[in-house]
Amino acid sequence: MQGSRKIIASLVFLFFLHVAILFAGFVAPCDPATQNREFPFAPPTHLHFVDARGRLHFRPFVYPIVPQPGALYQYEETRERAYAVRLFVRGPEYKVAGLFPSHLHLFGMDAPARIFLAGTDNYGRDQFSRILFGGQMSLAAGLLATGISLVLGLIVGCIAGFYGKWIDESVMRLVELFMVLPWLYLLLAVRSFLPLHLTPAQAFFLLIGVIGTIGWARPARLIRGVVLSARSRKYVMASRGFGASDFYIVRRHVLPHTYGVLLTQAALLVPQYIVAEVTMSFFGLGLSEPRPSWGNLLAVLQQYNVVVSYWWMFAPALALVLVNIGYLGVANAFHEQLQSGSM
Amino acid sequence: MKYLQRRLAHSIVLLISASVFCFLLSDLAPGSFFDEMKLNPQISPGTVAALRSEYGLDQALPVRYGLWVKSVLRGEWGYSFAYNFPVRSLLIIRARNTLLLTSLAMLLAWLTALPLGVWIASRPGRWDDRLSMAGTSLLLAVPELVLALGLLYVVIRTRALPAGGMVSVRFEGLSLWAKICDLSAHLVVPLTVLVLASLPILVRHVRASMTEVLQAPFIQAACGHGIGQARLLFRYALPAAANPLISLLGLSVAGLMSGSLLVEVITGWPGLGPLLLEASMSRDLYVVVGVVMASTVFMILGSLLADVMLVIFDPRVRAD
Amino acid sequence: MHRWVGPAAILFACSLACVASSPPQSLHGGEELQISDNEPGRYGGTLTVAQRSEPKTLNPVTAADAPSREVIGRLTADLIHINRASQQTEPALAKSWTVSKDGRVFTLKLRRGLHFSDGQPFDADDVLFSFQVYLDEKIHSPQRDLLVVGGKPMEVQKIDQYTVRFTLAQTYAAAERLFDSLAIMPRHLLEQSYKDGKFAQAWTLTTPPSEIAGMGPFRLKEYVVGEKIVLERNPYYWKADRNKNRLPYLDELIFLFVGNEDAQVIRFQAGDTDLISRLSAENYMLLSKDAANRGIQLFDLGPSLEYNFLVFNLNDVQARNLDKIAAEQTWFGDLKFRQAVSSAIDRDGIVKLVYAGRGTPLWGNASPSNKFWVDQALLHPARSIGHAKELLKSAGFSWRNDGQLLDPRGQPVEFSIITSSSNTQRSKMATIIQDDLSKLGMNVHVVPLEFRAMLDRILQTFDYEAAIMGLGGGDADPNPEINVWLSNGGTHLWHLDEAKPATDWEAQLDQLMQKQMVALNYKDRKHLYDQAQEIIANEVPFVFLATPNILGGAKRSLANFKPAILEPTALWNVEELYFLPANGAGAKQ
Repeated sequence: MQGSRKIIASLVFLFFLHVAILFAGFVAPCDPATQNREFPFAPPTHLHFVDARGRLHFRPFVYPIVPQPGALYQYEETRERAYAVRLFVRGPEYKVAGLFPSHLHLFGMDAPARIFLAGTDNYGRDQFSRILFGGQMSLAAGLLATGISLVLGLIVGCIAGFYGKWIDESVMRLVELFMVLPWLYLLLAVRSFLPLHLTPAQAFFLLIGVIGTIGWARPARLIRGVVLSARSRKYVMASRGFGASDFYIVRRHVLPHTYGVLLTQAALLVPQYIVAEVTMSFFGLGLSEPRPSWGNLLAVLQQYNVVVSYWWMFAPALALVLVNIGYLGVANAFHEQLQSGSM
Repeated sequence: MKYLQRRLAHSIVLLISASVFCFLLSDLAPGSFFDEMKLNPQISPGTVAALRSEYGLDQALPVRYGLWVKSVLRGEWGYSFAYNFPVRSLLIIRARNTLLLTSLAMLLAWLTALPLGVWIASRPGRWDDRLSMAGTSLLLAVPELVLALGLLYVVIRTRALPAGGMVSVRFEGLSLWAKICDLSAHLVVPLTVLVLASLPILVRHVRASMTEVLQAPFIQAACGHGIGQARLLFRYALPAAANPLISLLGLSVAGLMSGSLLVEVITGWPGLGPLLLEASMSRDLYVVVGVVMASTVFMILGSLLADVMLVIFDPRVRAD
Repeated sequence: MHRWVGPAAILFACSLACVASSPPQSLHGGEELQISDNEPGRYGGTLTVAQRSEPKTLNPVTAADAPSREVIGRLTADLIHINRASQQTEPALAKSWTVSKDGRVFTLKLRRGLHFSDGQPFDADDVLFSFQVYLDEKIHSPQRDLLVVGGKPMEVQKIDQYTVRFTLAQTYAAAERLFDSLAIMPRHLLEQSYKDGKFAQAWTLTTPPSEIAGMGPFRLKEYVVGEKIVLERNPYYWKADRNKNRLPYLDELIFLFVGNEDAQVIRFQAGDTDLISRLSAENYMLLSKDAANRGIQLFDLGPSLEYNFLVFNLNDVQARNLDKIAAEQTWFGDLKFRQAVSSAIDRDGIVKLVYAGRGTPLWGNASPSNKFWVDQALLHPARSIGHAKELLKSAGFSWRNDGQLLDPRGQPVEFSIITSSSNTQRSKMATIIQDDLSKLGMNVHVVPLEFRAMLDRILQTFDYEAAIMGLGGGDADPNPEINVWLSNGGTHLWHLDEAKPATDWEAQLDQLMQKQMVALNYKDRKHLYDQAQEIIANEVPFVFLATPNILGGAKRSLANFKPAILEPTALWNVEELYFLPANGAGAKQ
């Protein structure tokens, strides 16, 4: 069926993206925190395939760059010796999926040549590596916050939809309240009074928890709608007639109706929450140095001189858009399935 | 009527709870407005403490809340520590600027989305349908933040339009026509970002509900009667499809005050967004509460409007 | 019939324009003007300047924020003024003064025949009124604390219509500098609100311009909320150039509210504003790329007076339930630890990466540009990780196998540095320092906090471990900064609320600073202050980092532009600024 083909295609795309990001340590040539202070704001490394004598090589090579004398943050290539890009090299240590250490990297260079596929930042850190490692954090943030929102939304939506009347009314008013508050101020306040002794990663995930907790409102509303309509079905009433408990009815008859909505919401919320993390970091509330996340990688674009002079700093936006496309494709496919399934 | 009365009562409760929530939250956040003065080596701590008590910052929360409510009833909406005069005057000007931007954006977005969505729904499966789905997917995937930054980059590089702000320096001295041109030039960037950000969702929803309606038997019957395409779409199908769209419209109106914070901050548009940011950063409590209240009012207006319009336009709702 | 319509219209328009731009009053005898020896210029033009945020008020007594003070400074004048270029005091509204032998009594003679910007005469009654308001405890003016010397407020006495006597409770070395920026206010406009107890509500931004008057080069013309504040020439200003032309030359001065530095740069590039100050190094680089094409002159004045530093929390936290911090203070309190940190920090890297090379590393609190007060003999040790490790070893620290630093009790050395999230430069310094200290095996977290939240921790709750901050820049003289170094001072950041000095060297520092405060001879003061600087550099209460250069730019057509290191960098001589004619005639660089 065409619908499921679309789902599979999007899922495969997402899968590869997530794998690359999960194994960031392997795919990335550098450690994301290493500062190469001689190369701040270096542009992406120029990969050459044709050498000085006009011969074509399969394996790209690189000329090392040196700072231009007299000009700050400008570089030029030294053409004395070419260095080939090597595959499966030994490089800085990292932990595979956070578990066991390894030194193997997909590609790399011998010193003094450097390969900065996406250029470097203010401190000379390789942006390509940072984008991959940053993806780990941003994706985790999105998934975690989505999980929290959906669980909360499911519980509240079920209760509201199932029991109805004044419970429903009061819950819906609560939903409206949450949708009206400026979540930014909420986050600012929460960040400020967090104890200093949380590690920055802990503080970050706590904030993600807060985002997820604020965002339960919309899924709750949708779930409530589904539960309301499911509740009035004939077989539910029949089930009651047979003496089924509320919990059994919800679990057996109502919940299955929500799966479609939950899946679609999940596919919609993950990119939204990733963007929320990006926005948080934009205002300086996200992960702190030196850990990268797409949010704080993009935050540097707030500076006018960076936007004008260093175009490669936009690269994380591309990664962000790609991930969004993947998830939205899945959401679309699910949605279409739902539509065709339930009509 | 009774329904409306109930909704109104609920709205007032909502307003009050939002304001209480805000007060509570600001109490949690450490620091007060006068902390910056403490860092000035020439001001003694005694002076700062005296100013704190003068502004009532060391009184209990319920007392401060009560004072604020009194101020609202007087029409002042609280007092700004930073600007040293009532919040109302600040709010009105900034709200005007924000509304100018967001209402134009809403108008443009809807005026584009409605015909586009309707037209696409009438030709399912064709190339333009696929193109629009792909296009809206792409737009949805690009967050507002990236759109704003990207557009700003283009504008800066090409120097085609002013990059930020609402009016030029010489605005006051320009003729009326020049003023309009100047304002429009400054509006282009934030307006484009807002419209592009909201367009995909609108188009999709219009398309979705139109598609649903177009499959209904009465449409096919009308088709059989030989009614023309345009009339069919806009006079017969659209009103039937209007129900979810009206809720969406309500949501759009609800977001008139609050939806543009990010865009305003990035493009330097002097609206409520930068005001809220500055005030929450500097703990100017009453300004924050004022802005939240303003957006709450719009939120309530929006959903009230949607409900009223639903009752008026959709006979099926009345029948319930 | 119609032939005279044209010329008449032009005449009418001209007269309108003249009225609109308040031409200077012609000089008359009896006015004791100050003659300024700048290059004479031509009348006309509007100067547009950007401000980062709106002024909060125009009331000189209650204004505490920088944008308000910047505008108020152009509307008002003081008795004795510090010349920003020479950094020395000079006569302003007071044409001369005498000082008693013990340095406590100042008798100032005011200029005669001067008028406020609304035409009303100025005399000693206005001075008395102004100081009455400044010293009034009920008004809580931030300036009041400046005027309380030796525990007692300054006494002000009227001797005659143009002579006023000021008596201090004790000798104060920089007493003359106290008068700078204390605006003299018009009694005829403000006395009523003062008597009614409504002084704090006077001269807010909504006050109509006709009710505001001052002795500054400009007067308020218009305030557009959220956009700009427009000042026009004060026709009665009391300065003139050597050709007896009354200053200022400019017709109008406009302050535009432009949210942040980047937006200011964009406006400046577009030509909307005529000058830009407090420029960061990256933007300076950006502007210098096509400065020639756009008719812009950029300036780099060398190091500023500001000093950025890393401070460790040495406050008494026993009573406050901050056990973890109390335990960590065994590290922070150890001089060798602080010296090791100082030795490991890559100050050159900071200057290169944070200030794009336009900065100077610091090892003490006085910046190299403070030519009158900096101790030239201070050592500037080079960065050395090896030396830092030696210091740590000798203090009992050791290293684990994975490189993590352990304290003498075997605990891993891990702490956080808080910075203000809105200050990009200091946040960048924190990232660099974090990397530097990781080479010593210290696990450092960088925690950017919202500015007020950070201040709260540093000044109130003491719930922090280390912080990066910046101070200074106000005046070159050591006295205004004295509260940083006195052990009971309000900005003695590393250890606030000391009942008595916590360490011997702090007691010594107290003595030195107190002595230099009352020493009248510059040589004596310098000697004392040099000793103080040595103590500060040796005991490392602050790990000094770097200072940025003062950078900015202006249009080439702006003449008499002489930016200074002291604030207000660009506008301190705004009355002398004028625009060169478009064809460059009479231009002199």
